[in-house]
Amino acid sequence: MANLLWLQGGACSGNTMSFLNADEPSVCDLVTDFGINILWHPSLGIELGDNLQKILRDCVSGKIPLDIFIYEGTVINAPDGSGEWNRFAGRPMKQWVTELSTVANYVLAVGDCATWGGIPAMAPNPSESQGLQFLKRDQGGYLGAEYRSKSGFPVVNIPGCPAHPDWITQIIIAVATGRAADIALDELQRPKTFFQTFTQTGCTRNMHFAYKVSSTAFGQRKGCLFYDLGCRGPMTHSPCNRILWNRQSSKTRAGMPCLGCTEPEFPFFELAPGTVFKTQTVMGVPRELPAGVDKRGYIALTAAAKNAAPAWAEHDIFIV
Amino acid sequence: MLNDSENSLRARIDKMLQDGLKTQTEPFPENDRQFATLLYALRDLDPKDLKGKLVLSGFTNYPYGEDRMRCQECMYYLVHRKWCDLPELALPVKPDWWCRLWRI
Repeated sequence: MANLLWLQGGACSGNTMSFLNADEPSVCDLVTDFGINILWHPSLGIELGDNLQKILRDCVSGKIPLDIFIYEGTVINAPDGSGEWNRFAGRPMKQWVTELSTVANYVLAVGDCATWGGIPAMAPNPSESQGLQFLKRDQGGYLGAEYRSKSGFPVVNIPGCPAHPDWITQIIIAVATGRAADIALDELQRPKTFFQTFTQTGCTRNMHFAYKVSSTAFGQRKGCLFYDLGCRGPMTHSPCNRILWNRQSSKTRAGMPCLGCTEPEFPFFELAPGTVFKTQTVMGVPRELPAGVDKRGYIALTAAAKNAAPAWAEHDIFIV
Repeated sequence: MLNDSENSLRARIDKMLQDGLKTQTEPFPENDRQFATLLYALRDLDPKDLKGKLVLSGFTNYPYGEDRMRCQECMYYLVHRKWCDLPELALPVKPDWWCRLWRI
């Protein structure tokens, strides 16, 4: 039996929605098959008021062992560092976060807001939002760079806007079944098993990427979305085309450019006009190239690929 | 036939360029805001205004600049169809042509 507590700070509940849509295993399976005891969750907990405060106080005191503390949303510090803008169970949420993180065996940050600050932490960040252990790419965040949970782990970051249900449930299961030591983290404290590969890995448009054929409008089934429509698939670490959404598809498969939502800089360029769904270029060359590719190599590759491109690459090959 | 009409239009554009049509090759849009401004201007043209499209987008019938930029390497160029797939242009072209909406 592993006790799990889920709290939500500055967030839209998107990760809760994603979690509740998990299906292999489902949230019910977590309880019935994997022995996870959900102490409280904003959408599942039935306790309110004093009863909820008692659960939280019992966790902090150690009366209830807290095995997994999951936090969704930013830690809100406004106004003036007090955290009063986000009161929960009788006090600023940030105070609960501090105390619960001290007693938890493992702390998981779920979604961009909890990991890096996400959209609430965009400049000028009026809510003084922070991620649990990062603020954008800078390590530190609310708990500080040196923070370790009782098990010795830093915060495990499961980013995404939202995170895929499987990324959440599989890490919960690994921790709850005593396999946390198998979770290798990257430099941003993301589980490598999910965040070592690129969004582009497994994308059905890879042939068009290779032959430099561009999608020039939404909904086109031919062409790659990187060249013109701002897709960040070649630079973003996520398994979105390996672990499909709803077991069916992904953004890029459906013709929607990847927004890079598992990276700390999301939303990129602070959503300035003209930066969303448009590949940013300098003198006609993309400002950001696929990871590990330099400008000279990119130009040479483009010339070669264009020369080698077969005729079929220019057509929609997905006949329904 | 689509190919015939595209070939015919390509030949017509070629003739206009060979006859010395003056087009606006400068300034090259350095960033996406400038690029978008050009696209908006193209959208405002009558879709049948071929000359207007060529002038505004700065068509040349030769590679342009020190880097010899040309359609052949442009992201919008469909090699086999010899076609510019940028929706605002959507014109038959030749691999050694260029315009200032070029991007790689």
